[in-house]
Amino acid sequence: MEQFDAVIIGGGTAGLSALKKLSDLNKSAILIEAGNQMGTKNVSGGILYSKRDPSTTIYNVEDVFGSDFVSSAPIERLIKKYYLHATSKSKIFTLDLTPLHEYKTNFGYSVLLNRLVPWLAERASESAEKHGGGIITGVHVSDIQWIDDKTIVTTNELEEFQAKAIIAADGVNSEVAELTAARHKFTPEELYFGVKVIIKLPERIIEERFNLDSSEGSAHLFAGDITSNLIGGGFLYTNRETLSLGAVYHYDSLLSNPITPSQLINQLIENSLISEYIKDEVPLRNDIKDLPKEDQLKIHLSASKLMKTYDELRYKYFSKNSKELVESGKFTNIEEIRTKIDSIKKDLIEKYGVQFVNNYVELEYSAKLIPDGKRCRMKKPFYRNILFIGDAAGRGIFIGPKIEGLNVGIDDAVRASIAISRSLENSNFGSDYMGKYYESLINESPYTNDMKKIDKDYLTLFLDIVRNISTGFIDPRYSFVLNLMKNSGFRGIAVGLANILGYDKILPIVESKNTYIQLPISLANRLGNIFTSSYVPAIPTLSERIAKLQYNDDTDSHIIVKNKKSEFMKKLVLLCPTKCYSSEEGEVILQHEGCVECGTCSFETDWKHPKGEKGIIYRYG
Amino acid sequence: MLNVGVIIKLEPDFSEGNVSYNSDGTLNRAETKNILGPHSAVACNAAFYCKVKYGAQISIGTMGPPIAETALRQAQVLTNAEELNLYSDRLFAGADTLATAEVLKNGVGKMFGGGIIDIVFSGHRASDGETGQTGPQTAWKLGYTFLGNVIEFNIDSDRKVVIAKRLISLQGMDTIIEEVESPLPVFITIDPSYRSIYNTVSQRLLLNKFRKEGRKRSEDYRQFLKVYTSKNLDLDPKRVGLQGSPTIVYRVEKIPRARTNRKTEIIDPSNPNNIMPLITKIIQLARGK
Repeated sequence: MEQFDAVIIGGGTAGLSALKKLSDLNKSAILIEAGNQMGTKNVSGGILYSKRDPSTTIYNVEDVFGSDFVSSAPIERLIKKYYLHATSKSKIFTLDLTPLHEYKTNFGYSVLLNRLVPWLAERASESAEKHGGGIITGVHVSDIQWIDDKTIVTTNELEEFQAKAIIAADGVNSEVAELTAARHKFTPEELYFGVKVIIKLPERIIEERFNLDSSEGSAHLFAGDITSNLIGGGFLYTNRETLSLGAVYHYDSLLSNPITPSQLINQLIENSLISEYIKDEVPLRNDIKDLPKEDQLKIHLSASKLMKTYDELRYKYFSKNSKELVESGKFTNIEEIRTKIDSIKKDLIEKYGVQFVNNYVELEYSAKLIPDGKRCRMKKPFYRNILFIGDAAGRGIFIGPKIEGLNVGIDDAVRASIAISRSLENSNFGSDYMGKYYESLINESPYTNDMKKIDKDYLTLFLDIVRNISTGFIDPRYSFVLNLMKNSGFRGIAVGLANILGYDKILPIVESKNTYIQLPISLANRLGNIFTSSYVPAIPTLSERIAKLQYNDDTDSHIIVKNKKSEFMKKLVLLCPTKCYSSEEGEVILQHEGCVECGTCSFETDWKHPKGEKGIIYRYG
Repeated sequence: MLNVGVIIKLEPDFSEGNVSYNSDGTLNRAETKNILGPHSAVACNAAFYCKVKYGAQISIGTMGPPIAETALRQAQVLTNAEELNLYSDRLFAGADTLATAEVLKNGVGKMFGGGIIDIVFSGHRASDGETGQTGPQTAWKLGYTFLGNVIEFNIDSDRKVVIAKRLISLQGMDTIIEEVESPLPVFITIDPSYRSIYNTVSQRLLLNKFRKEGRKRSEDYRQFLKVYTSKNLDLDPKRVGLQGSPTIVYRVEKIPRARTNRKTEIIDPSNPNNIMPLITKIIQLARGK
């Protein structure tokens, strides 16, 4: 049986950071990823932060992957502005939360994981190969067993092999956690549910519309009437030539009043400000019915080719790299490109009956569960010789507008790598030696602190921002507290008291419908500006959204429903983001094809990741 | 060391957005993108399997105009080939499968400086030709044992034999899988359903290493490229190109559409009332009624 020093399960940002770090510590490590290609199973909001804390160490992405990370990695835009929009119908009140975003921050970049992860993988595997390690894709770990003093890893695809130490980086629906019973399955109260669409928009149009300098971006959060009276909110991040538009809800809030996740996105799109943000001029084909089938097909194919050329040229024209077309000699100047685009457009209209209308273009629909570290982080993030990192260990930070996950996983990964490296040097993989040491390292992380306690300085910044908002019209209980909190002396006492009470007691008060919904609606109604939309976006149906996704279907289902009649399962008929569940005669029926592997149903099902290479293949993530 | 040769072909890309047609409905070759043929790609995968599993060295050959370099380059990405060979000469134009096989036979003879090639792989057929004759004819000319429709194979290096599974489908009969053993050298055409299986961690690591190397090599593929003309392939001009082709295409006819006996009913899916009767009908059919 083949044997390896360190085995990392899961090739997201955390797993890859572990591979890179272990290799840089001159250790041999292999990473096992179920997706056929790196990044195809990863979804994030997402902003990747690099943080700093003068009082302690934080391991950031650039510490792991090289100081040239910012200049070399395929990241999207440097987020310079961070807004919260309170919405009530067409009224919107905007708060500039940039100081909160900048708090202890080196940088925050918008990222698309399907672009970033392959780059990280390239760097990590380059280092790993120097020590006989590397990345293996398309392999699903199905079991881990301890026989005598050997740890044996079983997969669906490969012969069994041995590992001295294991890092579980297999995400929020960690099967390693399940196999080993290292932690309980996260409950809906401990999770957020996120759903997102990627929207296509040319680079320079994004910059003009959001008032951005080249390569810079902005983040927009939304709260108020866009959430159907449930606890959650929306977000819109600018990428290089796409936008990430999504909604994140407390999972238990969704369960209390189930709604189709696709609808959560639609509510955002229907908001006048958002619909203007995502607007583009979009070609619309006309049906040709009066011609023979063969001719229809030929016209269809020819129009497809022309539309593809039009789209590519237009995107290039509106991009930073438009000069390349001139430099390559294809065009003599930029104006000529514009003329060419216009002439193709004219052809499309006149020869193929294509219309150009105001609409928007969705590229990819995705969904994901997000662990709320305040509630579910593993207190003991290890089991035997396995260390849990990132989402698998339940370590995500959600505190008001503070939303961090990727950076936490990276920091965890470095700490786990340090612990494993030490164990390899001393040939001791016992949980008291390796696991406990990792736990102590994790507890030194400022991120762990963020998940435990309210940060007074962060709160101060927030209160400074809201200082000038008149509190006269909000719920008297809140205005009373807010007014009191403006006094720095009281604030110190209040935060101290809150931290004594702990998040357990504070959260139910703070994370309520009042703060999430009523307050922003009142703000928008009283102080908001009116925005109107210049068009009605043609929102794709869920079927159309699913049809755009790419899958490698497995004939066997990776999910087994345990109780077809449970109340929880019945709610999934609505809550499954791709409608894998239907109901017939009081029983729930699962059709696993089309599953995006978010794990929303995992709480009451026997839920596994699909076998290697099978299942969803995200192209943006 | 196992020496492996692969015969490939540059073909039109028939995918939507890339293919273009003339007004008379024929393929517009100038406007259509060309790529490594899908069947050639499968043959490349089989050769790559030999590299990962048996440490083989790979030489790729193709007959075509200079543009066929593109196919060689793409094949190098898939195989991490040590050698790329382009057999290109105006004399080769208009070749049928037999004249092509003549060029390929001599081409294979030049691979690795004229050493013995243990296995030659080729695709099942070409997506723009569909005759599937070039492979078997080349095998015949080379005097190699020919194994067609191979879906799986293993090599016993000590005994110098290949053990292969062939998928045989005959009209009106059950599809069978035949296991055969043949001494090397052999010429194998790979069935489209072939999939390489790498089932140990070490094989997977090696696979990654070679893939990466292949991508790197292909960036500078000309360094690996040798171009041969009829002269330096020692070919008799009478046996290549149009001259060497016994096939004469004297007329191309559109295939008449067969008269159908089945009844068709078009169902408008936008009307939900139409769906239930359809499902009932499908259930009836499924039950064999």
